[in-house]
Amino acid sequence: MSKPACPRLFEVEAMRDGRLAGMERASFERHMKGCATCAREAEALETIARAAREDVVQDELRVRRARTRLLAAFDGSLVHEERRPTRWLLPAASLVLAAGAVVVWRVAGDDPAPAPPSPSPPSLHATVIEADGAALYSRKLDGRRERVVLERGTLRIAVEHTDGRDDAHLLVTLPDGELEDTGTTFTVTAADGRTTHVAVEEGSVVLRLHERPPIELRAGESWSASIPAPSPPPVAATAPPRPQSPPPADASKDFRDAMAAMNAGDHRGAAARFAQFLEAHPRDARAEDAAYLRVLALHRAGAEEERKEAARLYLERHPSGFRRAEVERLAE
Amino acid sequence: MTARRTKVATDAELIARLATGEIGALGELYDRHQAAVFRFLTRATNGAEDVDDLLHQTFLAAAKSAGRYDGRSSCRPWLIGIAVQHLKRRRQSFARLFAVLRSLRDRRTTIVDPRSSLQAKSDIDRALARLSEAKRITFLMAEVEGFSCAEIAETLNVPIGTVWTRLHAARRELRDALGREGSET
Repeated sequence: MSKPACPRLFEVEAMRDGRLAGMERASFERHMKGCATCAREAEALETIARAAREDVVQDELRVRRARTRLLAAFDGSLVHEERRPTRWLLPAASLVLAAGAVVVWRVAGDDPAPAPPSPSPPSLHATVIEADGAALYSRKLDGRRERVVLERGTLRIAVEHTDGRDDAHLLVTLPDGELEDTGTTFTVTAADGRTTHVAVEEGSVVLRLHERPPIELRAGESWSASIPAPSPPPVAATAPPRPQSPPPADASKDFRDAMAAMNAGDHRGAAARFAQFLEAHPRDARAEDAAYLRVLALHRAGAEEERKEAARLYLERHPSGFRRAEVERLAE
Repeated sequence: MTARRTKVATDAELIARLATGEIGALGELYDRHQAAVFRFLTRATNGAEDVDDLLHQTFLAAAKSAGRYDGRSSCRPWLIGIAVQHLKRRRQSFARLFAVLRSLRDRRTTIVDPRSSLQAKSDIDRALARLSEAKRITFLMAEVEGFSCAEIAETLNVPIGTVWTRLHAARRELRDALGREGSET
């Protein structure tokens, strides 16, 4: 085995790994300034490390899809946890309710005066949701209002308004609008980025879809994407039905072309192609991707005003879109 | 004229928001760190098919344990640490699978991880692919992610001396491999 050209050569690695400190480190740093062998060794190690630090090329659309998948999984996990209480929670909740009932009974017995209105928000437990296997949804409290965001699938929702306040209605955010419950039991279905069916069992709801007048549905009435208004009785003005033809077969090609322009750095061209895609295929499952990528392309092209306008359009069309937070920043 | 300044949230702030269930914070963290975690996982696994799944699991696990974050300003080492735990779990699963396959075959064969048949593109990728997974992960954590040897030892649950040995061996093997790559081309 050949002898190293410098007896202190091993210290190059020791310094790199933090094994030299204080005096030892200072001494070796001084040595390296005058030792070509050690300087070369340090440079060789740094070259290898630099190569390993080089970025790995990623497909942008794949990244965006992975991001969407992650956010949906996180959102889903929150809902899942909410729907599956721990084992001790049910008996504990029963005990608390029983104790509460006793207290209320005793207080009512002592003082028959009506209790002041409760400042607490409507309870999530007043809403019962049954979801089909494909349903992707989340629920949250938005001030005093409970909001259910339905991305896809079917939900059967039963709402019990315990405090009787008008502003405590449940709101269901749909891919293409929203549905306001006014004390009822109903079923709502969404697929391919739009609402496809609403059926009311009790009470009433108001369905507000983008670019369409509100539709009030009462007990026994239903609405389907192919039927513009409920049958008996016609309660609200209705718009002509939307064309229900399937997206043209060249949607995939249009999207690929727009992506190719984006990947080639032709951001202006990409923005124009995404705009054409949205115009030609507004109901395509990739419409949200296209709207978002158009904003991104305009941002990269430095087209400030157009970018803001495209961002506003995205927010309008996808009020609960996964890229909402970042598009809001790009709309400023 | 006064320029409008938008305050960029720190990682710690984003994770605090994430701990309260704010989904937008997860999106921001993902945008900020996914490329680094993806690069780490790609190189650590030799560009395996399941890198996307590992990335997904890493961020999802991070989101679920956001409440336990220690508050340091950059969360990248924390994310890499989570990624390493997923790699360890994955290796154990593969080891169990290979053990079953070995027992079924009833003959001695060299069990080769099918994921090693990578399509590495650069010299460094090919050189890294020749290292054992333990050496590769140690090297990447030290030289790419900037972990100290003590931090690596803690994350991998090995003595610090093992980290130094692995690093030394990894550098030597990489230099040999890169030297060969250079002479072959």
